[in-house]
Amino acid sequence: MTPNLKEQYDYSKWLSEKELTPIEKTYLTVLIWADKRLRIVDYLESMENLYYKINMQMPRSHTEQYNLDNKFWYWYPLYALGTFSVIAYLVAAISGGLLGFYYSPATAGDPSVAYNQITYIMTDLNFGFMLRSIHRWSAQVMVAAVFLHMLRVYFVGAYKEPRELNWIIGIILISLTLMFGYTGYLLPWDQLSFWAGQIGVEMALSIPILGEWVAQLMFGGFSLGQATLQRMYILHVFVLPFAVTTVIAIHIGIVWMQGIAEPH
Amino acid sequence: MKHNADTKKTNTSDAPIVTDGSGLMQNPVPPDDQTPSWSERKSRSTGLAQLTYEYFERARLEDQDLRSRADYLEREVLGFPFWPHEVVRGFAITSFFIGIILFLSAVAPPHIAAPANPSQTPAVILPDWYLYWSFGLLKLEPLNPALSILDGDKLMLDRTFGVLANLVVVGFLAILPFINTGKARRPVEEPFWAAFGVAGVVLAFTLSLLSVKNLVPLNSHLLFDLTFILPVLFGIVFFSLLKTMREGYMYELNRRYYRLRPPKPLNK
Repeated sequence: MTPNLKEQYDYSKWLSEKELTPIEKTYLTVLIWADKRLRIVDYLESMENLYYKINMQMPRSHTEQYNLDNKFWYWYPLYALGTFSVIAYLVAAISGGLLGFYYSPATAGDPSVAYNQITYIMTDLNFGFMLRSIHRWSAQVMVAAVFLHMLRVYFVGAYKEPRELNWIIGIILISLTLMFGYTGYLLPWDQLSFWAGQIGVEMALSIPILGEWVAQLMFGGFSLGQATLQRMYILHVFVLPFAVTTVIAIHIGIVWMQGIAEPH
Repeated sequence: MKHNADTKKTNTSDAPIVTDGSGLMQNPVPPDDQTPSWSERKSRSTGLAQLTYEYFERARLEDQDLRSRADYLEREVLGFPFWPHEVVRGFAITSFFIGIILFLSAVAPPHIAAPANPSQTPAVILPDWYLYWSFGLLKLEPLNPALSILDGDKLMLDRTFGVLANLVVVGFLAILPFINTGKARRPVEEPFWAAFGVAGVVLAFTLSLLSVKNLVPLNSHLLFDLTFILPVLFGIVFFSLLKTMREGYMYELNRRYYRLRPPKPLNK
């Protein structure tokens, strides 16, 4: 390699020769460091290309069709319900992660370990009472926002072509959200939890042919016990978070591709 | 090969250095020689892959056609810049919303019931509020038909019937886009479907009331009848209302639509 080229590739010299603010200098240093190892620049460029490719999105706009460019601001709250569900989901995820440090899904003892841990969180743990309250309320608010979101989509006909697939994904999401709520409802293992679980087992058992299998799979048996609580816990903190986060990402990705069905 | 080397030499002398990431600067053989173009890939493909290419070609052509005919792509877009307007607005709305959650948590914290006791059934068994409608669907045993062919026995258990009702409701919602395939979007444009939605919402509320029937100060038979009569009643009222409003709305909508896209003159 010629000395000329070597000089050309001497980035530290290039950096020192340029007159840069500290922010610019830090940014370039980090960018060069990462690009040397990860080919960041190429990937950034392909993402930029993706962003500017208009053909990744649908070519029609309802706002344009109905000439409503500046008239839909007062509908904004209704069109923020999807965002609100995501925000409530994030709040529930953070507060739930913190609660997970102190909760343990065990039915041993009287009252059970799970119940004792909730009592501990509510009475002894610093900020624990508020933490459980935040988790509970963000879950309630998320369910409410999801229901209202569905009603909004129904009443403005946003589920129609080309958005049928996203409507079905939405139905899956609302069912998963309700399952989230139900599994979480069972975790304190108090009277309400136990008997709600009892109804769940009976519902599962009443399914023809598959009933016993479903009851085994979801509740770990035909009567409630340690296996039930353990399964509800794993569903609530492991299975559902991954599933719901993935489906939400797909749901929002499709909204990006198809554009928002604006009011008109 | 020799020819290639020659062109390479002439390239380095006067052609500008390419920095688009295609690697022309280092690579003696331009990648264009190796990477097949889109049409080459298409011509080489067979079977399903070729069909896919053919469909993509048609779809892109259609998209391109739509874009070239649409006037709105060229317009001045009405919108706020991302920074600071959209960012500040998003931050404000997010903070406000999280504030509501924190406020509710502080004002109305949940409490905990007595520990689980399998030997003592409580007077009131309830899920959370958002499952009341589903819980109400489990109490539809008067609707479960008793068939004379089975000597008045029921075809399925009441519990099975309730679970099935849940599946029917969710399944119906899922296939809704394939049932209502109309293009209209406003409630006034399709009064039936808007009224249907209102009836659905009212049904969700009445089913919730039915699920807590031992807490509602009403005769349980009356409550059961109201559960199904009220939604229909609300549906009819909304249907008539929207039907009445429809005339005026459709006039305005058509006027705007045809001003934007004037109808083509008939050639005869």
